[in-house]
Amino acid sequence: MRSTIRARAGRILAIVGLIAATLAPATTSVHAADGDLILKVGTDQEFSGLNPWQSVYVLDYEVFTLNYDLLVGYDKDLNYTEGFATSWTTSDDGKTTTFKIRPGMKWSDGQPATADDVAYTYGFVLDALSKETTLGSGYLDGYVSSAGVKSVKAVDPETVEITTETPTPLLLAAYVPILPKHVWEKYSLEEIANAEAKGFFANDPPVVGTGPYQAVEYTPGQFMKFQRNPNYWGKQGAADQIIITHFENNDTMTQALKNGELDYARGINADAFDALKGTPDIVPVEGFANGYSYLTFNGYPKAIKDGGSSTRATADPAFRDALAWAIDEQQLVDRVLAGHGTPGTSLLPPFQAKWYVAPDPSVLRQFDIAKADEKLTAAGYVKDASGNRLDKEGKPINLRMTWPASESELATAAQFITEWWGQLGIKVNAGVTEDNTLLVDLTPPEYDPPGKADFDTYMWGWVGDVDPSSLLEPFTTDQIGGSSDTFWSNARFDELFKQQGQTIDETQRKAMLKEMQEIFYKEVPNIPLYYDSELHAYRTDHFGGWQNQPPENGTPLFGFGPIGYTLLTDATAAPSPSASEATAPSAGASATAAPGDSGSPTSGSGTNTGLLLALGAVVLVAIVGTLAVRRRGAKATDEE
Amino acid sequence: MATRFIVRRFAQAALTIFLIVILNFILFRAMPGSPDRVLARNPNVSPEAIQQIRERWGIDKPLIPDQLIAYIGATFRGDLGNSFAEQGRPVTEVVGSRLGPTLLLFGLGEIIAIVIGLALGAYAGWRRGGPLDLVGNGVSLILYSMPYFLLGMILLLIFASTLHWFPSFGMTTLGVTHDSPLAYLADVSAHLVLPVATVALGLIGQYSILMRSSIIETMSDEYITTARAKGITDSRVLRGHALPNAMLPTVSLIAINLGYVVAGAITVEVVFNWPGLGTLTVDALKSRDYAVLQGIFLVLSVSVVFANLGADMIYGRLDPRVRA
Repeated sequence: MRSTIRARAGRILAIVGLIAATLAPATTSVHAADGDLILKVGTDQEFSGLNPWQSVYVLDYEVFTLNYDLLVGYDKDLNYTEGFATSWTTSDDGKTTTFKIRPGMKWSDGQPATADDVAYTYGFVLDALSKETTLGSGYLDGYVSSAGVKSVKAVDPETVEITTETPTPLLLAAYVPILPKHVWEKYSLEEIANAEAKGFFANDPPVVGTGPYQAVEYTPGQFMKFQRNPNYWGKQGAADQIIITHFENNDTMTQALKNGELDYARGINADAFDALKGTPDIVPVEGFANGYSYLTFNGYPKAIKDGGSSTRATADPAFRDALAWAIDEQQLVDRVLAGHGTPGTSLLPPFQAKWYVAPDPSVLRQFDIAKADEKLTAAGYVKDASGNRLDKEGKPINLRMTWPASESELATAAQFITEWWGQLGIKVNAGVTEDNTLLVDLTPPEYDPPGKADFDTYMWGWVGDVDPSSLLEPFTTDQIGGSSDTFWSNARFDELFKQQGQTIDETQRKAMLKEMQEIFYKEVPNIPLYYDSELHAYRTDHFGGWQNQPPENGTPLFGFGPIGYTLLTDATAAPSPSASEATAPSAGASATAAPGDSGSPTSGSGTNTGLLLALGAVVLVAIVGTLAVRRRGAKATDEE
Repeated sequence: MATRFIVRRFAQAALTIFLIVILNFILFRAMPGSPDRVLARNPNVSPEAIQQIRERWGIDKPLIPDQLIAYIGATFRGDLGNSFAEQGRPVTEVVGSRLGPTLLLFGLGEIIAIVIGLALGAYAGWRRGGPLDLVGNGVSLILYSMPYFLLGMILLLIFASTLHWFPSFGMTTLGVTHDSPLAYLADVSAHLVLPVATVALGLIGQYSILMRSSIIETMSDEYITTARAKGITDSRVLRGHALPNAMLPTVSLIAINLGYVVAGAITVEVVFNWPGLGTLTVDALKSRDYAVLQGIFLVLSVSVVFANLGADMIYGRLDPRVRA
């Protein structure tokens, strides 16, 4: 008889059906309630939180410029424009800049936003600097210190004076958010700067700011939700809310964009990016990177016990120059980046259009193995009988080459370079190193605690600000023991670095930066391999008005400041807002959050319900398990 | 006797957990690098500041005994430290908030897989060579050998990207405030379908293959022949004689399987951006968040210990010989 088996199958089907029944209505029951327009953004990066001083990633900078204004903002062409201040004038000696603050400006909570807030924010940084306290992750205070800010004074509610040690172009470039004094002054330096301190001020939502959108909900590791600031002084963006979600898996993010569950995706894989081309309603954007990937030589000038480079050759500019002739940057772009990048030359990327100087064709290195060979021989690196290249001590050159595990594409670059340099009789031992171990290996004896600079060559990347200073600084002598990974030292480069930081006139400054780039190209402390593109994409069916910042080579979002968000328009408004929302199951889902409650975070209730559900599931497992065991046990004893 | 059995098992479990705690500590300290070195990439950080950070995170004291003793003490007080990446949020809170979604996902996946996988395996084995066996065995092998990651991506491409039946990521729809618990439940359920299906399909293959071979093995046993000789109906032989014995290896497999939840959790959760322990593990690994990683590993290893304890108990019920 089969009946019992069938009965069991029936029970199983019933259970499956029950589960299916609870799931079935799901897709249809989620729909917009009051037509709030939500911009949904996906990113590959992780949030560092809402306290701007703790910012590390591009994403964190994006978050704080949505919440707050910089003193001086950037327009879509990356020119300075009004921010917290509307205008600024510099005194005759160039050391005092007077900023005019917008009259009648309000914080998102309705309190007046005045010069006092600027004086508080800059004063807070100066206080931290004078006490040598690391301000959070230590990135933002550097803008104030490198501009040489001495003092800040609120003359009246609409006027603030900032004095610097010398005239400097870096004050306007300071990427420091102006924070509301009435919120932040309640917390001590320690409570703001130190994430581990008792009473740490995480700036939990709702955030009070003057930016176009303020964070109202934040679930660490997952997403952040912003609500439009009704008090914003500038153009109001079309989106009522913005939700930025962190994606662990790049492919899922791309699929979500294709599905209409996202309107914008940042940091798409090259393969997925190419596949997006031609997808209806999706525009892929390839922006220039404000940074580059490089191959660094260990240029440490002295021998290091149990460490340092395996050969003195890496400290010799002639050797490095010769090896740079044996790298085909275009090939690397094509094969490593699938064409999404440009070959490297200068330590300033072409994104820095104002400052980038392409090497003169007369000195530009082409890919030429024979020439590299000649140059090596001419510089005194001869081959032995078996074809091995010898260093000046007569030892065969076996270069170690490594890269951080997080930058997996560099493994491909290493294969090519190994092959090319192999043709010069230089053996390369290439292998990946875990990021943190690599950071330890790179530290020189000047570091505290002293390291051994135990590497020959390695690859990684640098990313810059709008102002070029941060990309130049790691190559100054002062940074050996700091951010320098080449241990290269050049007196003229150092002098020019200092001068350019005190030169307002852009023509003069450009001349200095040109000379710096020339010195760098000639001495080859590192070989810029390529400028990797920023691969983003957006949908045009919910929002219009997407504009790249800067127009020629930028991306609409994740640039500099919130302008890309405020330029957006409602693409659904004109024809029929409900029709487009009904097409995709969840793409059309909009929020029901009342505009009035821009405050209260709602994460608490969500977690609780999730936990309850989980508990329910566990209980269910337990019941089913127990029942199954009972019945089987009972049967077994019955029938045996 | 039964009590002694239980007490012994619990004592073993307690000892195992203590050893796990110590191993956990050593393992994470043996890993290369330390969180403070990440800051060395920042041109603005002074050596004094890095020293401050070391003190702040307690990584300036000697590893053994200072850090070890502090760690063991704190762990048993329920203090797992603070997250480095999430700005000092307590680890218990960080891990706790992700435990629910993972339990939900894998709890449901396991139930479905157990019910369907065992039924499928038992039937296929019982009707060895039949049409269901041939098809079922083939499908099971494919599912068993397919990595979660691939299975998940396939489901995502078909049911989310192409058919638009289900959402592709997360646990709830972005930007939706749910009016009622029922609306919330419905939204979560829609998001659950694809990840749960991925987990269940992967496990079904495994469970049914094992159940099938276990049934086949049992069928050649003499007591089955005896039962049949007694004239008992086919289905009663299966349910009353073959199944209870064939269940034994399956119970241990399921218990051991819970240990692999972490591996599965990472890939399934990463594919569907599910806010559980798997995605948390990846994030914590990336940012070298020792405290959170330790917390996750502790939770997982303790749950494996408990799962095995549970299996022992169930085993004891199924097979009285074990209790002796």
